[in-house]
Amino acid sequence: MSANFILVQVMNGLSFGALLFLLASGFTLVFGLMRIVNLAHGALYLAGGYVGIVTVAATGSFFLALLAGAVAAAGIGVITERFLLRRVRGNELPEVLLTVGIAFVIGDLALAIFGGNPQSLQAPELLSGALSFASFGYPRYRLFMIVLALAIGLGLYVVQRKTRIGAIMRAGVDDREMTGMMGINVDRVFAGMFLFGSALAGLAGVAAAGQLTMRPGADTDILLFALVVVIVGGLGSVEGAAVGSILIGLIDSFARVWIPELSYFAVFAPMALVLVLRPQGLFGMPE
Amino acid sequence: MSRLTALVLSAAGLGAVYAAPYVLPSFVISLITLVFISGLVAMSINLLAGEAGLVSIGHAGIAAAASYGIAWATLNGMGVGSRVLLALGLALVVSAVFGLTTMYTRGIVYLMISLALGMVAYGLALRLSGLTGGQNGLTGIVRPDFVDLWWQFYFFTAAIFVLALLAIWVMRRSPFGLTLRAVRDSETRAASLGYSVAATKFIATMLSGLLAGIAGVLAVWNSEFISPAAASFARSAMAVVMVILGGTGTLFGPLAGAAVVVGAEHWLSSYVERWPTLLGLAFIAVVIFMPKGLIGQLPRRLRPETDRPQKPAESIEPEATTHTSA
Repeated sequence: MSANFILVQVMNGLSFGALLFLLASGFTLVFGLMRIVNLAHGALYLAGGYVGIVTVAATGSFFLALLAGAVAAAGIGVITERFLLRRVRGNELPEVLLTVGIAFVIGDLALAIFGGNPQSLQAPELLSGALSFASFGYPRYRLFMIVLALAIGLGLYVVQRKTRIGAIMRAGVDDREMTGMMGINVDRVFAGMFLFGSALAGLAGVAAAGQLTMRPGADTDILLFALVVVIVGGLGSVEGAAVGSILIGLIDSFARVWIPELSYFAVFAPMALVLVLRPQGLFGMPE
Repeated sequence: MSRLTALVLSAAGLGAVYAAPYVLPSFVISLITLVFISGLVAMSINLLAGEAGLVSIGHAGIAAAASYGIAWATLNGMGVGSRVLLALGLALVVSAVFGLTTMYTRGIVYLMISLALGMVAYGLALRLSGLTGGQNGLTGIVRPDFVDLWWQFYFFTAAIFVLALLAIWVMRRSPFGLTLRAVRDSETRAASLGYSVAATKFIATMLSGLLAGIAGVLAVWNSEFISPAAASFARSAMAVVMVILGGTGTLFGPLAGAAVVVGAEHWLSSYVERWPTLLGLAFIAVVIFMPKGLIGQLPRRLRPETDRPQKPAESIEPEATTHTSA
């Protein structure tokens, strides 16, 4: 086994981890603030991915596709939050089940509109091909995924730690009622957070469409990974999402080449281990 | 509802179940058979959701484990007894995985983990193609001789369903049923009274898994076919719709919910192409407009005594005043 091989696998793991982070960070932020497990997150990813594919086909602009995917998913998120989730606000179970219903509708409509064949988008010139360092070449697109995730992660960190909005978000996570008492419109903060989380899912979908495929079932496949990441990392923690994404990405990458038959199981094993040894997840707060 | 009315109604219900094959056409009977089987899965979820407050959205994975067990055993020429043992054993192994990974959790975390486990079961069914036949599944799984004919199978399924109903009724009145509800209402209180919360949840998951496994066996005997779709997210979610639609925590809710969903799927899917969309919309509508479900919405005096609403989870009323009706 050459060093080159290991390096490629590590990079593959990191780039898949980057995609997982884009998804899991939005998922976990929404949960942290609103206590909503949004099971339509995978469907938003799928919707964003398809919108991205259509945008690239129509305009040829990858940047526009990223924007359109994020905006489309955010739009669906806003409608969901404003017209459906608000009716059952505060009841954890109905909230989750509602998002299951939405996931079904989006998944099935996507099948009706885009058909059952896997589709992906053409990456722009700049991100195609490989970038080589000495004897080691690596696909530019995968590197772009890593950079994108780093940028989003860094942005989240700065916003959360250094801005007023971030302070409100953290206050809301710690104590919703008290945040409301301080004169902050918690409803609006919730709506904003749901919009943002949905936009991230859409963005992840477009980014993924350049490397993976969008097809019926891609939504639930990726949702499983997002669930595993946040369970391992700890629900509600962005740091946990980051660490969990990298961990699961790497495990998946190595398992695919070493134990291809059981790679599906390999991702699930750390989740089971974490649940038994540390049920709140690596970075989660005990309830 | 008085005890006498309840008795008369039960007798009438049993009579109707018994008489059905003599008066109804056989395709209606096979639809009713399907309602009983789906009702069993819903019942296994309801056992956890109603009594323990744990909503599982991965139970199709447990049922499918039993289905694959029986399919594999049949195709490999095992006897009827060992087939069923293998199938239920497999369902219990999967349930144990569910139980061990979820026994320290509750609420939405429980739901999330059960969902992830269900998806893993689906993935395994799809990928371990040497055992499961992959995407194509396993076909040609014949029923044992004693339930070979459609009416034999109907009576067998109905009998199993009635037995399961009785078992749940007994369990709800047993000390274990009370312990479960105590854990649901306040884990801290139950723990400080000396009950092991984790063990209680684990046992409940195993019981529920056994029920789901039985349903899985019957499902294969019904369709004589098994594919990964049986373990899918959609299948698990559909069973949860049945539970909520019928009324979470009620004895007859799962049956009512199964009847509506199976009926709707049968009649509507021939007119409407987009069944999953419809299912999703139904899900949303039920959650928003009918959170108590069909049985839960009946006027109090029409409801079976066992199906009166239980104390809400967050209530701070003292224990003694709430279970006077049970």
